[in-house]
Amino acid sequence: MSPALRDKLHHRVKAARAKDALRRFEYRQRNHAGGVWFRLRRLLSQAATAWAIGEEDAQRLLGEGVRPRRAGLEIEPPIRIFPVSEERLHALAERRPLETRLSAELLTARHLALVLWPQERADDPAD
Amino acid sequence: MVVDSEVPNLLEPDALSTLVVSQDVDLAVRVDRARDVKRRLSDLEGFRPSSEEPSVWLPESAELLEVNFLGLDPNTRDTSDSYVIDDPDFPLMVFGLLSLMKPGRPVEIEGLSVPVPRVAGLLLEKLATERTGEKGDRDLLVALGLLLVAKPEDLDELDATYRGLSPDLRHTVRSNLTILAGLEGRLGMPDPGPHRVAIASLRRRLEATGGTE
Repeated sequence: MSPALRDKLHHRVKAARAKDALRRFEYRQRNHAGGVWFRLRRLLSQAATAWAIGEEDAQRLLGEGVRPRRAGLEIEPPIRIFPVSEERLHALAERRPLETRLSAELLTARHLALVLWPQERADDPAD
Repeated sequence: MVVDSEVPNLLEPDALSTLVVSQDVDLAVRVDRARDVKRRLSDLEGFRPSSEEPSVWLPESAELLEVNFLGLDPNTRDTSDSYVIDDPDFPLMVFGLLSLMKPGRPVEIEGLSVPVPRVAGLLLEKLATERTGEKGDRDLLVALGLLLVAKPEDLDELDATYRGLSPDLRHTVRSNLTILAGLEGRLGMPDPGPHRVAIASLRRRLEATGGTE
């Protein structure tokens, strides 16, 4: 094996180790701002459907004691993300369906309602 | 043992190969058997070693795929470590995560027995690898293809192996599942949309057994 090829292999190992170091760093950041995207994605993965809702509906949900999930409040500008039941969703006046993925459309909404899969907890301590 | 994205293609009925994946084949060689494989390389017909890429063998006809040899160390203690076997004729990059793969039942194709890993280890390796960009997305869609063929016992095995990973690797697995749940479908690849329930179910299971830290 030529020295150039040997260097290439060692360079790749170095790159792989750097990637591992970065992964460990990001893991340490998971409970801070650096981990918010994971928590937002996780929240969306818990949802069967996602909806942009209006200001009045958001106030109504707050008034009914529905707490917005933490992950949405940690980005700027914050998004109030409410876990709701199907029944509660249908009672909301202004709702627009969104794809359940991080998208420009979803991130520009100020208030979201998520209908979670039945097995998910609305008050998830991991959020 | 064939590893990487071609495996789900081989696992399809009659190795139908409907997934559009990278145009090479990764072959994992156990590091303690590397010398035996090296000895047999001269028997390989239709391939020549690349002068630019160590451990890559190039096909001499368009009907064959490029072969990339990788090292698998079944005794590794650190699944996140990588190292080089600096052999002048048969160099290998050894990736710790490959050690998650255990030999499965070989796929028989036209009289040829093709060694493939068990679904659980391959799926876990795909999910535990940090991935970015278009290739990363496609790799996760391959993981979805594996999830869809996984049997309950495969998921039990995955769960058990997952528990033995370091916390940061477990987090990567869960993180990749959240990315997968939000991916758009691509032509020739499984669409996550109709399978978000299965993806969420696996994430919940791993959170339940391995924690959310």
